[in-house]
Formats: sequence, C-alpha cells, structure tokens
Amino acid sequence: MKVLAIETATAASSIALAEDNLVVATAGRVDRRGHVGFLVPALDFCFAQAGWTPSDIELVAVDVGPGLFSGIRAGLATAQAVAGAVGAPIVPVLSLDAVALRAATGHRRIWAVVDVRRREVAVGPYRPVPGGVVRDGATELCSPAAFRASLEGDAADVLVVGDWRALPEGTLLGLHAIKTGRPRYPVAEAIAEIARSRAERGEVPHPDEVRPRYMREPDVTINWGDFRSEGPWA
Amino acid sequence: MKRAPLILGFETSCDETGVAVVRGSTVLSNVLATQVDEHARFGGVVPEVAARAHVEAIRSLSHRALRDAGVHSMDLDAVAATRGPGLAGALMVGFSYGKALAWALDIPFIGVDHMEGHLFAPRFENPEYGPPAVVLLASGGHSEIVHLRRWGDYEVLGATIDDAAGEAFDKLARFLGLGFPGGPAIDREAETGDPAAVAFPRALADRPLDLSFSGLKTAVTTYVRSHHEAGDLPPMADLAAAIQEAIVDVLVTKTMNAVAATGVPAVGGGGGVLANRRLRQRLAEECAGAGVALHLPSAELCTDNGAMIAAAAAFRLGRGEVTSPDAEVDSSMRLGA
Ligand SMILES: [Zn+2]
Repeated sequence: MKVLAIETATAASSIALAEDNLVVATAGRVDRRGHVGFLVPALDFCFAQAGWTPSDIELVAVDVGPGLFSGIRAGLATAQAVAGAVGAPIVPVLSLDAVALRAATGHRRIWAVVDVRRREVAVGPYRPVPGGVVRDGATELCSPAAFRASLEGDAADVLVVGDWRALPEGTLLGLHAIKTGRPRYPVAEAIAEIARSRAERGEVPHPDEVRPRYMREPDVTINWGDFRSEGPWA
Repeated sequence: MKRAPLILGFETSCDETGVAVVRGSTVLSNVLATQVDEHARFGGVVPEVAARAHVEAIRSLSHRALRDAGVHSMDLDAVAATRGPGLAGALMVGFSYGKALAWALDIPFIGVDHMEGHLFAPRFENPEYGPPAVVLLASGGHSEIVHLRRWGDYEVLGATIDDAAGEAFDKLARFLGLGFPGGPAIDREAETGDPAAVAFPRALADRPLDLSFSGLKTAVTTYVRSHHEAGDLPPMADLAAAIQEAIVDVLVTKTMNAVAATGVPAVGGGGGVLANRRLRQRLAEECAGAGVALHLPSAELCTDNGAMIAAAAAFRLGRGEVTSPDAEVDSSMRLGA
C-alpha cells in the first residue's frame, strides 16, 4: 500500500512516502510558522525522489493534532485536497500517538508531550507492547503543574517523550522515577505507519469525519472590549 | 479564438467559505458557506472560529462547486485561492487546499489579492465594465477607493484611517442591539426611518478621498446616551436611517470626489457594504447626475466569493503569473504594492 503522510502539527513539519513497511522518501523542516510554504515543495521533492505520481497514492495519512492550530489546518487542508483529487481515503492520526510510537523504551510507561502554547501542553500515557505502544489513559490538555501532578501520581517508572523542553524549567525536577527521552516531535514516517495499520483494520472514516483535534475551545476575543454591552438596549 | 481557462477559485479570507468555477466572464457555479450564525453569538468575526469553520467546510464545498458546474477536476486549467489580505489563520485554509489541489492535478496555482478579486467582480454582470474607473471597495474588513487605470494597474486613492465601513455598521448595530451582521440589520431597520431625523457628522471633509468612521461611532453613542437619559430618543428606525445615511453619504461623497479628480467615465463597487440598498440608490443617483456609468455586482457577488478570485486569477494566468509552491499567505497584502 502506497501511503502519503503529512505532519504539520508541531514546529517540525515533515512529509513521508511509504510503501508497506518501507519509507521511500521523506522531507522535513523545523519552523514554527512555515507550514503553508513547506508542504507543496516537500511533496514535489518526495514524489520526485520516489518516482511516484499523485495518482499512485492509495492512502493519505495526516496528523490532526493536538498541536499548533494553523499547522494542523494547513496539513489537513492539504491532505483533504490531495486525497479528494486522487480518490484516496484519508486516515487521521493523533500527534501524541506518533510521538509515543517512536519512543525508545524498554518497560517504562511512556508519557508523550506536545506543545499547544498558551502555557499548556497536550499529554497522554502509553504502555509499550511488542511492536509498538497502546494508549493507557486519557489524552488531555493541562498546565505544566497539572502534568507534574499526573507524573507524581503515576506509580510506574516513566519515560517522558515529546516536547518536554517546552515545559517551564523545573517542572520535572526531583521526580526520580522519571526519565526524559526522544523523539521531540512527531514525524510523518510514524504517521504513515499508524495510519496504514488502521486502514488495514478497516478503520477508515468518511472524509467529513476527519477533523482537527484542537482539544481547546476557540479564543473568542474580537478586540471590541471598549464597545461591549455599552448599548442601552444590549 | 482560444477558449478562456476553466478556473476553480477559493476564498477564505474572512467569514465566508466561497468556492466557484469560472470560465471567462461566466460563473458556472458559486457556492458559499456563511459563518454568520457562528459569529453572531459574539457580535463580530472571531478569527479562530472563522479558521475552524473554513477547514470543516472546504472539502465538501469544493466538491459541490465542481458538481454544480458540471465539470470534473480533470477539466480544470488552474486553481486559485485568496492569498491576502485577511485573517491569517482563515487564509491558510483555502490557500493550502487550493495549492495542494493544483499540485495533485498538475495545473497552475494562483494566489490572488482579495481586493483585486473585488475589482474584477462587476465584470460578470456588467460586460461594459472595465478601466478606467473608480471603484469603491467597502466591507467589514476594508474600505478604500481605487483608481482602476488598467487591469493590473491600481492606485489606492483613499482609504479609511480607522474603522472599515462594514465595521462601523457592525459596531453601531451592536450598540443599538440590532444584531450581527450590522449592515443588513441597519438596512432593514432603516427602511421606515427618516434619514434626516438626526444629523450625524461626516468626517474628514478636508481630506476629499479618505474615509473615517470612528468619529461617527462616538457621535452616535454620545447622542444616544444623552437622549436616552432625557427620554426623547427618536424611534429606532429613524436612528438606523440617520446612521446609515451618515455612512452612505461619506462613501458616496468620497467616491464622487475621486471621479471628479480622475475624470474617469465609470464607477464600480465591491465588498459586502455595497449590498446596502441605500448606498446603491445614492450611487445610482449621483453617477447619473455626473454622467458616469455605474457597474455594481449583484449583492451575491458584492460579498466575498470564490468567483471573483477565479476571475482575477484568469487575468494573472493570462500574463503567465503563477504562484510559487513555497508561497505563504500574506495577511497584510496591499493592492498595487
Ligand atoms: Zn472582501
């Protein structure tokens, strides 16, 4: 199965083309704001590298978050457009799942971290199993302090992976059962791998069901503070 | 003669997701998902809400636009999307979608200046419209008077120095409790009102081509508060009519000043505010009086839409101007700059 995977949910953007287990081309860049400009040149590069044409694509895999809102939307819009044009199904993947899958671990429980800004992180616990990881609790957005509390309450030896560098200094200080490790960001190769196994299990949603996972209500400030509810009829 | 290119245009700069298929001056389909209800709760356009709604709507709208036009994506000659100006997060959705679609179909992609799109919109319904002309562009996000010298050669003669005209409608409608969006709400309320009931000020008389609406906002709120306390507030319809008249009067006066300054034989218009009935009526009267032609799009093509983006893209494509694959959106893009 020929898979196009798109990853733009964090500061690190990447594209991967994979055929079954084999990654045939990748492109990546770390840039918090350059998702929109990265995507099509990266597609061009990878398809030239692999000798594929768009019509070869049998599955489009895309990271739908949590992460950077604009990046998620740029990646999803790109995935929807390409999938629609070539008639391929589209499978959404959670950023945290992709981070956890690439965690180098023996038996430690894994906590994956993705920066979502506004002094919050997205976190989720995973358990290593032969050939991968399984989700082992709820995915949530929380403050660094709340994350620390979750780790303190976790009885197991823990490996924290993902963008733990985005946490304020000292957040993990003094937690002796905790180790930190790589990867820092999700990568498209992992997105491809997760999506392919889902597709093989028949877990392919209708494209309208593929939506960003913001996990946060929109900020509804419209800068009219001076004008709000001033009217006598308001 | 070579057939005009078939272009799919996306517009996602603000709160309307617009997709259209255009060939030459023919609109083959023009579909829109308006977010008015979502923003009405907040009384204005919320950028993050807008961006979220675009990404939910764009896939199915894109398919519907092609279906309504009776064309297959393989038939397209190019894809276009608004590059700016507008809300960055909202722009990114249509721009990313359009760019990726063009890539997958192996056809050119054209990122379009939203304002240039508005300049092209009157052409669909007014075949004789074209340069030289003065074009009034007014919406919730922009208000300017443009000298259309030639296609591709535009001079912004005047612009608002504070609020956009549509923003003034929105804020004042909100103040009066008339709801969002303010333009249509005030237009409706003003129907039975007397525009001369209150003489609100007309700003910037000394700058014949520039616009300003924040003074009106202050004048209205001050007037309403004091007369509300005194218990002699005029009926809502009169207030709405007087506010509408003040905004319309400024827009019309400055547009006609621009006509006099440039000597052009025609006036065009675009942007949601140009759907206002009183504005259209006053422009018609003034243009007739001055002996210049008036070319306004129907209300449907005044508001943001994908067809105008496709039309501007056709012009750019004809000049061989396509957008680089690594282009980003430009939320502060400026016409003619
Ligand atoms: Zn507009």
